[in-house]
Amino acid sequence: MKILKTVAQAREFTSFLFVVALFLIVGAINPDFLSLQNILLSLNGSVVFTMLAVGIAFVIITGEIDVSIGATLGLAATVSAVLIRDGSSWIAAVLAALAVGAAIGLANGIGVMILRIPSIIMTLGINGVVRGLCYVYTGGKWVENLPFDYKALSQATLTGEPGSVTWFYLFAAAIAIGIYLLQTRSRRGRYFAAVGDNEGGANLIGIPVVRTKMTAFLLCSLFAAAAGLMYVSRIGFVTPTAGNGYEMKAIAACVLGGVSLSGGIGSMIGAALGAVIMASIGRILVFMHFSSNYDNTITGILLITIVVGDALLQKRASERARRKRLSARIAAKPGGGA
Amino acid sequence: MPEFLKKRLLRWEAFLLVLLAAEIAVFGHLNPRFLRIPVLLGSINDFMSICVISLFVTLVLVTGGMDIQAGSIVGLASIVVGLLWKDFGVNVWAASLLALAIGAACGALSGFFVAYTGVQAMVVTLGGSFLYSGLALAATQLSDTESYKGISGFPRAFTAFSKYRLFGMIPSQTLIFLALIAVSYVILHKTRYGRCVFLCGVNQSAAEYSGINSRLVIMSAYIFSGASAALAGVVLTSYLGTAKADFGKELTLPIITAVVLGGTSNLGGRGGVIGTALAALVIGVMRFGLSMSGISTQYLDIPVGALLVLAVACRTFMDNPDISRRVRRLFARRKA
Repeated sequence: MKILKTVAQAREFTSFLFVVALFLIVGAINPDFLSLQNILLSLNGSVVFTMLAVGIAFVIITGEIDVSIGATLGLAATVSAVLIRDGSSWIAAVLAALAVGAAIGLANGIGVMILRIPSIIMTLGINGVVRGLCYVYTGGKWVENLPFDYKALSQATLTGEPGSVTWFYLFAAAIAIGIYLLQTRSRRGRYFAAVGDNEGGANLIGIPVVRTKMTAFLLCSLFAAAAGLMYVSRIGFVTPTAGNGYEMKAIAACVLGGVSLSGGIGSMIGAALGAVIMASIGRILVFMHFSSNYDNTITGILLITIVVGDALLQKRASERARRKRLSARIAAKPGGGA
Repeated sequence: MPEFLKKRLLRWEAFLLVLLAAEIAVFGHLNPRFLRIPVLLGSINDFMSICVISLFVTLVLVTGGMDIQAGSIVGLASIVVGLLWKDFGVNVWAASLLALAIGAACGALSGFFVAYTGVQAMVVTLGGSFLYSGLALAATQLSDTESYKGISGFPRAFTAFSKYRLFGMIPSQTLIFLALIAVSYVILHKTRYGRCVFLCGVNQSAAEYSGINSRLVIMSAYIFSGASAALAGVVLTSYLGTAKADFGKELTLPIITAVVLGGTSNLGGRGGVIGTALAALVIGVMRFGLSMSGISTQYLDIPVGALLVLAVACRTFMDNPDISRRVRRLFARRKA
């Protein structure tokens, strides 16, 4: 019973309910949407966003922001795709992509934590630079003609039949759950939220703030690079604009999943659920017979509604808590205690 | 304190001026055609949107906010002008005015949420950028013209005004920019309202306690930036002769760079429009000069991004002597 209560109180639970409600409502309008096939397709389709959202959640939970992941995804995808096309081993391609991610993450971390540049500005600048590098690296051309077996990786499913859960999604989901457990159960995992909630306080009780935040930036870019690898396999070719604007969608996914942009609140499970919502909006529109041109409009409305609603609810909750404290104090007075 | 602040800012602006002169000298050396006055003055046509919008986004950053939606309002305004004129038969000038009003309304909507619900400006304007670019795309559906083509065929008078040159020399867009610098300078630095904007950025509670309607002031900053983005959209439509929903898609980086490079702190309470105007010119001339020296426009984000990071890093170093000490300490610790 206690477990049930904690689950129901968790912020992720609200986003989970929201996902369920969204699927049920759309399913009521078009029953085909609720077929197992389609739900699995929605999950499989969200794998790139899931990786991005889980990565950026680290940074957002520590109270910073990273808008360079779209370009990081693009550069990692470009570098790995070129290597694979030219016949290098996959391991080399994976390592190269992760090295790209690590370099960018380190640059962001150093800029924000040591040079003390505000994170939005640092990562916005890095985003421009890295996107430019994508063009320099490819000369503005598409990377095409990737070997079939690399593309087939993204189609490999658990049961081996098409239409089941892909290994990619299982991998992403396992990572999200694993990190969630580490983050809530382990000492170091709690550092991220502690730093985001109260940086000064975390510093005073001996949490290494600089190291924690730099780790967050590093992990964020590594996840973006991993997302880039999955992107290459799923899409099968890479344009120089690959991943353009994905950073905004990943941030939106985190917000939809209950991760607070002021830091300290939220979890990887929420971020992963938010990514499913983000990736499904286009599909939902199709099932409701709308043009998918309304994709951005719906995203914007959802984002603003959820954030504003959340802010208002929290304001009310804190107001109520304050009042309760006040009346408790008044009630305690006649007893002469406090 | 204000004396000291003023001196410091003036020094920064002088530095920007030197940077601008150096750029012009370098690009002039690379390509002598660059130094011809009509080319140099006409270059502003290519980056007018950055200049105009960043002037008013400065106001938003001074209140301690953030505005990443301005680019999407540019596209929305452009498509509104095209749609109203072509498919609804509205007079093109009236359509432009309506587009301005819609831009201001978009700013007001986001500003309302920022000011009255206390959600971070970054999130609200992120939602706004999705919403307004989505609306722009949806608006193209109402038109008979295919969206990828853009709506064109505007009356001559409308397309001519942005190409007009005073004395055959100074482009009208330069004049608009100069006028808007004057307007925004007066608004931010010479009026009571401007002081309120600064105070809201420094300390919103203090502003509230001194009887300022701080929420209204914050919201108004977003209205200004929305309206300026719409104006940029209208001018861009006139200059290019087509209305498209995706104009302004890539403007977020240069706009924020211009504002921050101009000396405005993104934490609020510090900054000025003269610095922003100079920084916008620095960025614009850099993009224009590089593309004139034969560098593909796709590479232009590299120098702009690097400039943004470098400028802010320099400023933080200059402002804060402790940081260099901290860096030294960090390296000392690593060695030990």
